[in-house]
Amino acid sequence: MRTFEEKWTAWLDGKLSGRELTEFEASLPDKAAAEAEKADAKKLGTLLKREIGTYDLANEEFFSRQLREKIVRESTRRSRKRDSAVATWWTVRRLLWTGTASLAVFLVFAIFVMHDKNPAEQSQYLTQILNARVDSVVSPNATISMFEAKEDRVTVLWTEGLQSLPADYAAK
Amino acid sequence: MGRSLALVVASTALIMSASTKLQGAETVWSGLVIAENVPQPEPIPPELTRIERSLKKLFGYNQFQVIGQSRKTLNTGQEDWLATSKFFGLHVDARGESEAGYVLNLKLYKEKELLLETDTKLSKRSPLVIKGPQIGSGQLLLVLVVQ
Repeated sequence: MRTFEEKWTAWLDGKLSGRELTEFEASLPDKAAAEAEKADAKKLGTLLKREIGTYDLANEEFFSRQLREKIVRESTRRSRKRDSAVATWWTVRRLLWTGTASLAVFLVFAIFVMHDKNPAEQSQYLTQILNARVDSVVSPNATISMFEAKEDRVTVLWTEGLQSLPADYAAK
Repeated sequence: MGRSLALVVASTALIMSASTKLQGAETVWSGLVIAENVPQPEPIPPELTRIERSLKKLFGYNQFQVIGQSRKTLNTGQEDWLATSKFFGLHVDARGESEAGYVLNLKLYKEKELLLETDTKLSKRSPLVIKGPQIGSGQLLLVLVVQ
């Protein structure tokens, strides 16, 4: 024999039937209030089911793990994409081209820089007189000096006091 | 692709060969020149054109005539040669080549008599002018130019 509370719980759950249901409903002092309470209980049950389900999904560790896994998956995918992009651009052909072009540019620069270096070192590229002497017996008062005429880059060895000669010596 | 690569390689080789050619054999022009002042000066010899302005400014003459000359192509930088006129001889003895030019020993003779001797480092870019003795109303000049 079930108690009233047991029957009430079964009625709320919709588990009473037949004569037992009829007798229980007849025993209720206010059936309308009981029906309202039953409806509220159902709503509560639905709400709890939903919330309990959500609670399971909202588990902190579960989500953290899922999130970490997702991040790892995404990072792996991105790095794979990047690696594959780099590997695609640096083909053997492009490497060869880049190497050849760099070599050509280097050679051109090396040659032109070497040629342009000369004007900067002009003094080294002017003719230099290392030493000079005159016959002191023939021209005892002769003197020697040297200088550079910058405009035509001419180096001059200038002598004074050499023995003068007659015009006949200008013959070809 | 292959064609373009060949073009780049060929251009590079061309540039390198051109650069090598610049360092090749060169000719030295040596001249005995009489500078004078005359009412009707003759045109300056082509070998002296590039230094005409300096010659006129430095020596004050209006005519320059070549009385003896020699043109020598240097291959080893060890050659020697002679530029002569009727009475003068300029003996040039090359004693080596450097990046900047040639080391030369120059001797000016009047017939068999040595008047002047000098050692110079003749630059490929810079001519050498030597003022020699006074001859009549003019002046003997020795000129060396790398051409």
